[in-house]
Amino acid sequence: MNTAFDKPTDAGPSSPTNEPGLSASLHDVGFSYDGGTSWVLNGIDLDIKVGERICLVGPNGSGKSTLARLIAGLSSPDRGSIALLGYDVFHDGKPNSGLYRKARKGIGAVFQNPMDQIITTVVGDDVAFGPENLALAPDVITTRVHESLDAVDMEGTLFDDPSRMSGGQQQRIAIAGILAMAPSMIVLDEPTAMLDLAAQHDVLDVLDNLQHEGTTIVHVTHRPEELKHADRILSLEDGELVELTPTQAALKLSVTNADDTGLLKPDGLIIEGGSRKDNGLKTDGALNGSAKEDVNRTINHSQTEFQAAASSDTAASATNAPASDNAPAITAEPAIRFDHVSYRYPKSDKDTLHDFSMTIKQGEIVAIMGRNGTGKTTLTRLMSALSKPDSGTIQVSGIDLSSMSRRDKKALRSSVGLVMQQPEQQLFAETVRQDVAYGPSNQGLPAQVVDQRVNRALTLLGIDGLADRSPFSLSGGQQRLTAIAGIIACEPRILILDEPTAGLDASASERIYALIRTLNAHGVTIVLITHSPRQARQLADRVITLGGVEQGDKSQKDSNHHSRNDSGPNTAIDKAIDTDTSVHASAAGNIDQPRQHTSDEKTATSGNADQVGAANQPTPPAQRQSIIERLDPRVKLIVFLVLMFTSFMVTSLPQLALTAVMVVILAAAAKLGPKLLFRSMKGFLILLAVMGVINMLFVRTGRPLVSIASFPITDDGVMAAILYTCRFGLVILLGIILLQTTTPTALTDGFGSLLSPLRKFGLHTQELALVMSLALRFLPTLAAEARNIIDAQSARGGSIETGSPTRRLKALAAIVVPIFAGALRHSDNLSLALDARCYEENIERTHWHAMHVARRDVAFIVLCALYLAILLTLKTGLVAAPRL
Amino acid sequence: MEMQVSGKVKFLIGGNGTVGFITTALPKPASRESGRSGENPRPTVTVRMKETGLIVSDISDTQNPSGSHNRDKTQSTHSTGVADNGRWSTQRIAIYALFVALAMAASFIEFPIMPGVPWLKYDLSGIICLVAGFAFGPMAAFIVSVLSWIPHLFMNPWGAVMSIAVAVFLSVPAAMVYKRIRTRMGALAGILVGVVFGLIAAIGGNLLITPIYAHMTTAQVLKMVVPILLPFNLIKFAIHGVVTFIIYKPISNLLNR
Repeated sequence: MNTAFDKPTDAGPSSPTNEPGLSASLHDVGFSYDGGTSWVLNGIDLDIKVGERICLVGPNGSGKSTLARLIAGLSSPDRGSIALLGYDVFHDGKPNSGLYRKARKGIGAVFQNPMDQIITTVVGDDVAFGPENLALAPDVITTRVHESLDAVDMEGTLFDDPSRMSGGQQQRIAIAGILAMAPSMIVLDEPTAMLDLAAQHDVLDVLDNLQHEGTTIVHVTHRPEELKHADRILSLEDGELVELTPTQAALKLSVTNADDTGLLKPDGLIIEGGSRKDNGLKTDGALNGSAKEDVNRTINHSQTEFQAAASSDTAASATNAPASDNAPAITAEPAIRFDHVSYRYPKSDKDTLHDFSMTIKQGEIVAIMGRNGTGKTTLTRLMSALSKPDSGTIQVSGIDLSSMSRRDKKALRSSVGLVMQQPEQQLFAETVRQDVAYGPSNQGLPAQVVDQRVNRALTLLGIDGLADRSPFSLSGGQQRLTAIAGIIACEPRILILDEPTAGLDASASERIYALIRTLNAHGVTIVLITHSPRQARQLADRVITLGGVEQGDKSQKDSNHHSRNDSGPNTAIDKAIDTDTSVHASAAGNIDQPRQHTSDEKTATSGNADQVGAANQPTPPAQRQSIIERLDPRVKLIVFLVLMFTSFMVTSLPQLALTAVMVVILAAAAKLGPKLLFRSMKGFLILLAVMGVINMLFVRTGRPLVSIASFPITDDGVMAAILYTCRFGLVILLGIILLQTTTPTALTDGFGSLLSPLRKFGLHTQELALVMSLALRFLPTLAAEARNIIDAQSARGGSIETGSPTRRLKALAAIVVPIFAGALRHSDNLSLALDARCYEENIERTHWHAMHVARRDVAFIVLCALYLAILLTLKTGLVAAPRL
Repeated sequence: MEMQVSGKVKFLIGGNGTVGFITTALPKPASRESGRSGENPRPTVTVRMKETGLIVSDISDTQNPSGSHNRDKTQSTHSTGVADNGRWSTQRIAIYALFVALAMAASFIEFPIMPGVPWLKYDLSGIICLVAGFAFGPMAAFIVSVLSWIPHLFMNPWGAVMSIAVAVFLSVPAAMVYKRIRTRMGALAGILVGVVFGLIAAIGGNLLITPIYAHMTTAQVLKMVVPILLPFNLIKFAIHGVVTFIIYKPISNLLNR
């Protein structure tokens, strides 16, 4: 473990050209995005000592990220001087790229969104990317990969796909990818902004360990609780740095009613004269500090009776809270009713929601909590009719979602507003005003009414001043408010918000709190998905927790660390009931989206000792790998492509039989069962059928067999159909065998290596291979985002399928523009991540999985050559192919 | 891609790998708004760059080219001179990767658009190749066109080769024209030139490839050109062209923001 953090000889402070003992030294640094008109950073002086842990705070848009990038050596300032790890990287207004290069090798950087930093689809390969760029020897890389995965408590996931992990696990993989490069300083820009509570603590644990190991840490954060172990807290405001005491910082970050933390001071939140009620989570250690404050807090709407039914097989229990003084706003009419609803993702083997029932009354504010993957977002999709349940019924505003007429659908669209996670990703129009107007104008309202609504929504969110700006020129917080305004302008009676304050600073969060209260005072029913118990307490009448309770704070988490894995549905729910009196409903405990939760359990259960031993192999145990899997990817690629292209030479049944035998042999050697092959082929069956029919109909020669609608079907036609369909089917099977036995990394490595002779002609083969690999990695991410955008815009009434051509085109633009914006955003983050991993054009890299042609590869080539020889013989000489 | 300007300045941009003449503008308040209204005089300057494509700066201090802020998404300001520089900067790799991923995703969403010929399918990936070419030059169009069809090579090898050829012939000429004439008319001309090349590639490709998939002679396929292949490809390229033409402006705003 220690060796993972040994300082690299060429980048450590052991070879300083500047003051020793400093990891970073900034002097009078200025940074401007507009060529000097305004300064984001203005005269920053900062010395960071080796081993120091620094927290950097400040509101959204204050330049924290900019400063973090300067410290990480990822960009250079406009003026001043910077020394990193003792190298004078920026001096006399000029960057020194040679020194930057050296310094960067010793500095790691971690960013907000883990999936923009993970560059491939296999954990081990991703962690190895940095060391490969440092041109380390393969055996050193193996050690580094295992040590760094161990350091983030993710050993045993070496062969897993990061895109199937929870956000917290992904972020730990991203950190492992940085640790594998053995940095002496690590810069983290809001690494926990996207994570749930437990995952936040996992990341903080890793940081604590790094601090202990002596790594310098620069941590940009919004969360007061993350300041705990900082040696210094620096606040960035108006381009200048101020050092804060922990108390000052906590106060600053929490303003009035910011986010979840035990450090917060009472915020004296008062809503118009309700009854005071202890809504606190009294036994939850996490919330002890703040639970006391609850005595002073007023929650207007009291809890109403809530029925929960849970399935017997998951042993979830239902508790009814005593009904108490109902606030007048809440009427008995249910706004949303779920009746024994189950939902399962198509490829999953477990229900995400199982036999779930609940009722939400009109005018209520209900918070829905639960760990990542417990079905919260699914719930919002079901409520807004974007997904259909597998069983059970859902009623929203009296409309039964399972049997909706067109008019019902329209009514639902205008009465339910859905604010998805990170709704700013759906912005598309040229001005804020146009974007906000999109929903109301899709409802067919007269222009005047649309205008009114837009103005009202903008005022409500306090962004009237931005109405004529481009949404893409706004800060993240302003974009969020704009996107929410676009949904408020539809004036929904039920508003569903999925983590609306995630990643926002205190003042933007406050706007959203105020909005929720105002709307609710006007009778709007609010469903709020949140990870913050505090937020739930401050806003909600009622909390519904899915799949157990969230881990509240560090101490609690530590004490529960080992019980987490054996806390089945019962314990989780018991705990939920124990700790939170406002939890009346618990959906079945074990209903997590399996791909996320199960892997989490796996890491929680894994003991360190046996895992390290088991994981200490660069490849999976040999018996699990088939011969085909172990082939050199280059050989495999070429030979399979040759086989595929030559399969089209098959023109007779004997030739077809020969090719079929070859494919069967390969499938057997690849240890792929017929079931799997069939499943993979499913998508092509229709295509094949169409091909067969066309061939049958086009061939007029030969003996007519039958005649369908004056089209004669001849024996030649049938023959052609069989031949053409089967040979194409075999080609597809060959492709499936190749793809099933080769990881994307191996494929792109092979691809790059095969192209490498072309380097002589100035072709950037290494870069092309990397582009290919990254594209494959981001393909599912973009697809999922596109789906979200399409759903979100159709929830605002934009549809490509109906309406006049202009409306359809507008609807198309409303989808395509955000998709491109998303792609550009990912590429910005990705390029930083590539920089942080020390990738450079044309660098000499090593490959963790060294490719070499072994004896089995030669045997494979000989086998295939033999097959081709027989095929050609059949075609030309000994056996005359029947001419069709 | 052009900028509405009220004055013009010419200077040499250096320092980030691409040296080229850039004509650029003095800042003009609210140019975005007036630019759209069309009240302004015709653009006095057409900003052009080399292969790296995107422009455009709004600099007040023309005495200080080093303070210039080139908004090209494939080249960075505040460069450190490491990896964020040169022809294959990490920005460029990242942006190509994302465009290839987009085109790949689009290439899998295929649907027939002409009744009776279900094997000729429309997919949107050509639009992304065109946009890539407009934004980042012919090389980008070529790379996105080729790489985005590589996964199809393992499912439908000849079909993939054909699709690559069509995408390249459509997007590369379009990008080459637009690279020289960076106006709306240039974009239109580019698309039209691309469509002509694309048609040649598509029909030529079909003549070669259809006999591999169906029991037909080239002569038989030739008979299908006028009634089937030509109208299908014309419809396909017409959709490509119209959509690209409409979405390119908002997208270029994103690129230059």
